[in-house]
Amino acid sequence: MPNASPSSDSTVRPLVSGKMLLTYAILMLGSIAFVIPFYFALNASLKTSAEVAAGDFITPVREPNFSNYPRSLAPDKMNFWPALANTTVITTLTVIGQIISCSLVGFGFARFSFRGKTILFIIMISTMMLPAQVTMVPVFVLFKSLGMVDTFWPLIIPAWLASPFFVFMFRQFFSQIPEELIEAARIDGCSNWRIYWQFMLPLSGPVIAIVAIYTFLGTWNDFLGPLIYLNSPENRTIALALNSFRGQYGTSDAHLLMAASVVTMLPCVILFFAMQKYFVESVAQSGMK
Amino acid sequence: MARLIRFFLLLVTIGIIVWSFGSVSLRWVSNWRDSVDRPIRLTILHWGEPAEDAIVRRLVERFERENPKVRITRINAGSGFDSKLKTMLAAGTPPDLFYLSPDNLPLMAEMGLLMPLDERLRKERDRNPTWLDDFYPLIMQAYRYDPATHRTGAGPQWGLPKDFTTAVFYVNLDLFEAAGIDVRTIQKNGWTWNEFAEAARKITDLNKKPEYAGRNIYGGFFALWPATLRNIIWSFGGDFFGSDFRDVTLDEPDAQRALRFIVKLRLEDKTVYNPTGIARDGGAEFVNGNIGCIGPIGRWQVPRYRDITKFRWDVVPVPAETPDKRVSQIFHTSWAISATTRHPDTAFELLKFLCGYEGQIQQAHEGLAIPALRSVAESDDFLNPPGMPRHQAKIFLDAIRYAKIQQNPPQNEWNNIVGDRITESISLGQKDVLTNAREIESAWLAELDSPLRRQEWKPMNWTLIGSIGLAGVVTFVMILWWRAKREKLGPLDRAQERAGWAFISPWLVGFIFLTVGPMLLSLLLSFGKWSAMEPLSQAKYVGTANYEQLFTVDPTFYQSLKVTLYYVVLSVPIGQIAALGVALLMNAGVRGISIFRTIYFLPSVLGMVAVSVLWLQIFNNDYGIFNAILRPITAWFGTTPPDWFGKDAARWAIPAFVIMNLWGVGGGDDHLSGRFEGNPRIPLRSGSDRRCGSGPSVMEYHASHALSPDFLQPRHGDHRVISGLYSGLYDHRSRSRQQHSFLRVEPVSPGIRVSQHGLRQRYGVDLVCHRSGSDADCIPWFT
Repeated sequence: MPNASPSSDSTVRPLVSGKMLLTYAILMLGSIAFVIPFYFALNASLKTSAEVAAGDFITPVREPNFSNYPRSLAPDKMNFWPALANTTVITTLTVIGQIISCSLVGFGFARFSFRGKTILFIIMISTMMLPAQVTMVPVFVLFKSLGMVDTFWPLIIPAWLASPFFVFMFRQFFSQIPEELIEAARIDGCSNWRIYWQFMLPLSGPVIAIVAIYTFLGTWNDFLGPLIYLNSPENRTIALALNSFRGQYGTSDAHLLMAASVVTMLPCVILFFAMQKYFVESVAQSGMK
Repeated sequence: MARLIRFFLLLVTIGIIVWSFGSVSLRWVSNWRDSVDRPIRLTILHWGEPAEDAIVRRLVERFERENPKVRITRINAGSGFDSKLKTMLAAGTPPDLFYLSPDNLPLMAEMGLLMPLDERLRKERDRNPTWLDDFYPLIMQAYRYDPATHRTGAGPQWGLPKDFTTAVFYVNLDLFEAAGIDVRTIQKNGWTWNEFAEAARKITDLNKKPEYAGRNIYGGFFALWPATLRNIIWSFGGDFFGSDFRDVTLDEPDAQRALRFIVKLRLEDKTVYNPTGIARDGGAEFVNGNIGCIGPIGRWQVPRYRDITKFRWDVVPVPAETPDKRVSQIFHTSWAISATTRHPDTAFELLKFLCGYEGQIQQAHEGLAIPALRSVAESDDFLNPPGMPRHQAKIFLDAIRYAKIQQNPPQNEWNNIVGDRITESISLGQKDVLTNAREIESAWLAELDSPLRRQEWKPMNWTLIGSIGLAGVVTFVMILWWRAKREKLGPLDRAQERAGWAFISPWLVGFIFLTVGPMLLSLLLSFGKWSAMEPLSQAKYVGTANYEQLFTVDPTFYQSLKVTLYYVVLSVPIGQIAALGVALLMNAGVRGISIFRTIYFLPSVLGMVAVSVLWLQIFNNDYGIFNAILRPITAWFGTTPPDWFGKDAARWAIPAFVIMNLWGVGGGDDHLSGRFEGNPRIPLRSGSDRRCGSGPSVMEYHASHALSPDFLQPRHGDHRVISGLYSGLYDHRSRSRQQHSFLRVEPVSPGIRVSQHGLRQRYGVDLVCHRSGSDADCIPWFT
């Protein structure tokens, strides 16, 4: 309708801003829903045991009980420091392992032609659909027979053996790199290993970032793995230590649990804030292809 | 500025990493040196709140001082005790000494996991008769069990009692006096259930008085897990079992009267509190001063109640139908020694020490339980310990006269069958007590007659399986090699090929050892019966019995399929729409989107322990914010909001989970740990624009916040897990499968729950059809 266009043109502006307003309203509403539980957590972490036990997570704190924080982290409660050390060791080794192994395998799938490649790749992708429960017990039996129960190894070793999703991401990324670059390197006498180490890895910063972030979050908050494999109290990770707040009478120390949780999630929040831009870019670049 | 902060963060991170590696390796070194200095190493496993923990710790430290060659690792597993014990057994590293509860005694004795103590005790008696004879005979007897006849009270001695407690009712004296009821007479003469009902009514009537307005007072609260329920049934002259364990007597008149009585007070008169919310329980309400009396429970409540200042309390005997039916359950715990301990002599010395006078006196002071040694129990250490609010502790001792040892079947599935199902009549009111009792009986008989129990099975022939497997692998490799040979490759191609295989080898190794191998083992075990507590060589070949069980006997299988379907139908579309919505919002091109993006991502970083506690609070029926918001809205339609995890759980628990999942919809992916490779989420593009797929628009199929069983357990005063009301939810698959137990629509396949309880909890999944110690994985093959 050509004759309608001028009038519609004139109404575009207010319409758009109205739409914007609506978008903002929805975004705000959503934000509240997403933030409220955090408010509860922070709120409860500063309250007294009695207030929390009465279910009061909502009303503002009158006198903040900052002493909840040191108390929750103390050796007789969460025993934070050893747990932090354990978690850091596991997480660091897992992240490094995941980056190295997945990039190696991704490179292999992306840049070499060998017989069985296609079928292996399909198999690998299809294992992503496999429920972890199928393998959980036998894998436990395996690590038990290796005498690795109650050590960090069962938590670290699988990360060094590549996980399909991240391999997939690396492969997609490496496939995009122009063949000429690799050819040139090869002609200059670079070994495959050097091509991987000096060209591929440095180029794949965004993928490394996303693998690192996901692995970090997954490992840092992982509860099931440590629960299965770690027995002695000194080997506890943070997630297990948090669980120790659940005492005989339920979570009677919910205020301390919340304080400890706030401390625990701090690294994750900081990580996200610090790497947000990178994080978003990296998903856009590599994961979506 | 930003660079400075970044630099600072980097520094801190590196610092923490270096410190962590340093402290962990220091610990290894010192452990290793310690193992040289103290070659005898014992591990002990127990439970206990801080008071009990301190007692055991002090005893252990004393013992270590006196025995310089011994190093004791003490694990207080708290409420996760059963799972811990079972996992340690499964890991092949059982604790040398551990708490043994009467529930575990029959099964563990029959599986040969315990060391019989008679021989050593006899020698000990020759040396030191007074100590052994000081134990209450009844309590000693409770740790005799005869694997041949399945009777408790006779046969070898498997444990040495640490303490015990009889059952009582705790009363709120202020409420009783306000209602004009004389507690003294009750303490002296006992009381009948009719008098109890009368008292409960009078106390509930206090609500009508203006000074009690808004307090919601109830006359009483019943502890109703199997052991305490049994106490009530006993006091009406009934029991769980008749002449043998096949004969369930819940449907007989005596037990029926007991159950009907509970239903009347709890559901009809409403003079006994029937908690509906999940975070508020009767125990807490008693402490808040709103419950007249609570029971039948044991002495373990005292450390909690001693701090009560709001009101005065005391204890009275458990009522009975008529005075001659007076009876008390005994709850008891012993220390037992693992059959496979490497240092039986030292372990026995430690056992003696832990059950000695010193520990018993300390225990008595804390009010945790009744000392198992008579001289301590009858001294002021127990009756009038320092700093204890005055109460008639003698009531506990009086109850020993009419206390009764309970007979438990070795198939401890029983506790779950009765514990889960009985609630349908006595707390949810969905069924009448007779139907309920009959259903329990038939479920129990189905359990006893399950295809897996029908016969003795032969062991799995691992040699045969191994050689077939080996032959298969060899043939497969040969075929590949032969095919590879046929094609001639140039040297360049061959180099390519070799390099390619070398690069993917990490995944290949993982694939073979962590995926294919385990899957095949799972498949094999689905035709077997194996408890993870024994070595694989103990596995029995049962043919298709597991599958038979699953499709014909197991009532939970079809139920769980239904629940799964419900969950999928509800959660997938809603989740997709929400994810799409978030994606669109994120790409609407508004300013400050990065802030919103961060906020929407935040839920993914909160650990699930805290998340589960929070959600329980939010969905709580009594004071949760969610229902507080809904209430005015639903009031408009003349209804009340659903009691999500309470009585409306059958319909509403799953929507509640859908809502919880929605909360994580903005987050990319929090559980993509890469450890267990089954959890990846494939990011979907939600628009043509490349940006569209970024960040928060990553859609999830998988649950983001797993609520593990360990967090969602009902709280009772009991040390152990009581009913497993809230079973675990790990991810969609296992989650939906476990829903039924959560909902109590149907309990989790009883076999898993009990004998595999530990494992299941630990794995966060149910290893379905692992009945009574068999561990075959069938379900994963269907999912």
